[in-house]
Amino acid sequence: MKFIKDTLDALNTKIGGSKALSKFKPVLTALDEFFFGTEKVAGVPHMVDRIDIKRFMTFVIIALIPATLAAIYSWGLRVVLVILISYVFGGLVEVAFAVVRKKEIHEGFLVTGLIFPLILPPGVPFWVVAVGVMFGVLFGKEVFGGTGRNIFNPAIVGRIFLTISFPNIMTMHWQQPFTKGLGGFIHYQNSIDAVTTATPLALFKNQGIVTSYIDLLFGRNPGCIGETFRIAIIVGGLFLVISRIIDWRIPLAYFASVAIFPFLSNHILHTKFAHGYFQILSGGLLLAAFFMATDPVTCPFTKAGRWIGGIMLGFLTVLIRSISGYVEGVMFSILLVNALAPLIDTCVLKVRYRKRKSLA
Amino acid sequence: MLKPTRTFKGGYSFKNYAGTALPIIVEAPIPPYTLIPLKQGFGTEIKPSVKKGDAVRAGQIIAKNDRTIASPIHSSVSGVVEDIKRMNYFKRDVAMVIIRTDNGSQEPLKLEGFSQEWGKLSSEKIEELIYLSGVSSLDREGIPTRFKTSIILPDDVKHLIIHGVGSEPYNISLDLLLEGKSLLHFFQGVQILKRIMPKAKVHLVINAHKRKIIEQITKLASHFEWLDIYPLEPKYPQGYDEMLVPTILNQRFPYGYSAANIGVVILNIQAVLEVYSAVVEGMPLIERIIALCGPCIKENIHLKVRVGSPLEHILSGRLRTETSLRIVLNSLLTGFELNDFSLPIDRTFSQIIAITENRQRQFLAFLRLGRRTDSYTRTFLSSWLNSLDKLPDTNLHGEERPCISCGYCEEVCPVSIIPHLLAKYVQRGFIDETIMNYGIFNCIECGLCSFVCPSKIHLMKILKTGQEKLIMQGCDRSQCILPFFDLKGIEEYRGVTKL
Repeated sequence: MKFIKDTLDALNTKIGGSKALSKFKPVLTALDEFFFGTEKVAGVPHMVDRIDIKRFMTFVIIALIPATLAAIYSWGLRVVLVILISYVFGGLVEVAFAVVRKKEIHEGFLVTGLIFPLILPPGVPFWVVAVGVMFGVLFGKEVFGGTGRNIFNPAIVGRIFLTISFPNIMTMHWQQPFTKGLGGFIHYQNSIDAVTTATPLALFKNQGIVTSYIDLLFGRNPGCIGETFRIAIIVGGLFLVISRIIDWRIPLAYFASVAIFPFLSNHILHTKFAHGYFQILSGGLLLAAFFMATDPVTCPFTKAGRWIGGIMLGFLTVLIRSISGYVEGVMFSILLVNALAPLIDTCVLKVRYRKRKSLA
Repeated sequence: MLKPTRTFKGGYSFKNYAGTALPIIVEAPIPPYTLIPLKQGFGTEIKPSVKKGDAVRAGQIIAKNDRTIASPIHSSVSGVVEDIKRMNYFKRDVAMVIIRTDNGSQEPLKLEGFSQEWGKLSSEKIEELIYLSGVSSLDREGIPTRFKTSIILPDDVKHLIIHGVGSEPYNISLDLLLEGKSLLHFFQGVQILKRIMPKAKVHLVINAHKRKIIEQITKLASHFEWLDIYPLEPKYPQGYDEMLVPTILNQRFPYGYSAANIGVVILNIQAVLEVYSAVVEGMPLIERIIALCGPCIKENIHLKVRVGSPLEHILSGRLRTETSLRIVLNSLLTGFELNDFSLPIDRTFSQIIAITENRQRQFLAFLRLGRRTDSYTRTFLSSWLNSLDKLPDTNLHGEERPCISCGYCEEVCPVSIIPHLLAKYVQRGFIDETIMNYGIFNCIECGLCSFVCPSKIHLMKILKTGQEKLIMQGCDRSQCILPFFDLKGIEEYRGVTKL
């Protein structure tokens, strides 16, 4: 503790001397705040809640740890490198903007940097990770003015950019996961021969095969890095709901509409619309429902709006998965609902605060 | 009749705070000098009827004006008027009568005509006793009498709410106020109030966790059909008038106006006890029971003090001075910070809270388990283990960050407005009818939004500046309230005094 303090002080005096280096003050300030907290005191109210944005974001990361560990087990130690690359390159963009804007560095990036690699295919080349995360942070967040002002979830923006730009890399190469013994904890990567199997969603779309739910829950099928071991995601998501970090309305509305909507259409187009439970358990739906759709900045902020947004998410996801040319519809539906969030909120507010003519 | 528990939407329960005042009462010694403010509670300031050099007795009326809305003010000690001067008292310029205590008897002068058998007194006499004792000035509406003690008359009162919810982090102890004989006195007080406000339905609101008291009261009240008993969850800000009226009466509250405007009078338990001692024992209101709360007070007890005692006299030797302190009056969320210890206490005091002014930085504060920290989120151990007392301090515990629209402020807001949305409008300068329509004037300044914000944004303050800016543009509170309510006594309304 003393060591960190001394190092920071030494660095502070060092960069204070030179004009070029002193621009990097936000980095040191961020580190200082990260380690030592604040000495500021509250006005009225005389005491405030202990939660702060750091703890808020830390809890999201804690909730992602089971899924991340499972990802390492399934896909090998290469996943660690992918995560590191995501953090480093995303962090560079964040720092560059903080330096240019002369603003402090915000913690929201810590979550983006971890979620982004989890929604990439396991065999993704390193340069693609770097390009994707930089694009996502830059155009998903910083151009709008940074944390709190972004319209789209940065991780989703990065992922969609990659899907559209490099469809070959992003949708064709799927590995088989490790399922036995210590698996990925002692391997770098599954052998290249195991490449190009199909994901459960693609299997259903092309051949009408429904993968067993147990396999889906335990991550024995190909898929994106963090989305396959679904038990870990459910545990993490429930943890967030219980600790009140995320709003339970969005996941609930999302699951409910995904479960009900295909059920209604199943009788007509049963080859196109998969069963609701299968839809929930396949693809990136669980991860997205708990960790991305609930991003408080980009989802609607009114409670009614959150219900509406969740239902729209489910509706769009099922529609895109079943009818469009894409196999997976989660990320597009989140992007669409993010774009619609201000509209949803405005409508909700209009209804809620319509001018009262007389006493209700 | 005992009614089922009910509650309101939003709010937050502050539980298990360290340093809650124990139900022990100690009489504070008579101070060597007292400063008596000539404006007490919600009343107007009145002119003194004594002058420099006059000898006064404890309980003697030193200021009285029957023409404005105010109650008489008494000297709380026997002594000599040393000076009458204007001082800055809670951001108001108030005249104070400074009295130096002499060696005479400090036994207060009793009121004339009080009676053990108050049932035999005329209503007029009872009202006079309540008025002359000064009890009628208590709480936010006062007790209406025919002596202009409130903006309405006793006959206009439709509902009388007496509450001891105790929804603040620190409260005066109900067990102390209503123990043994006091409970019987309290009941007599309630009956006296019913006598002078015959048209009023009486609602008695008690903290739902005090089962024993509720049981006793229910037994005592069984044959009064005009009396309803409501056990309420002590969820902050349940004790606010603005929350009691909708919860109990299912009626909308004219935010920003006094409850008296809609014919409701809301009193504390202590006020009812004072009514009893005025009418039955002839005691003028010169003493207050004050709870000393918070971890920075050596003994968390209740003190019986004379009104006008300077703070230094009350607090000397009772504070832990190892760390720097913050002393707060009545409420940790909205109370005044008490800096000047030469100022006196008045009739509005009920708690004095001392917490640490914590400017210390904490290593990796955001990773702590938090066994003794309070949070609206359930991200600390304290939400799961209720065994340890929570330690409040004044540190912000985090850096200010942009709003992430997490919605906590909306969830806790007791009046269903969206603080973060309004704050964004105000900060970007969009001050127009929209925010009025979004209910900015409904804000009751309970401070919960500022409390829960993880980005440490001072929402309550931003909303307040928004209101001020809106008023400068000609949009007024009255535009949201007056068309919807039939308010009484509105021309005499001078704004609610936050107690």
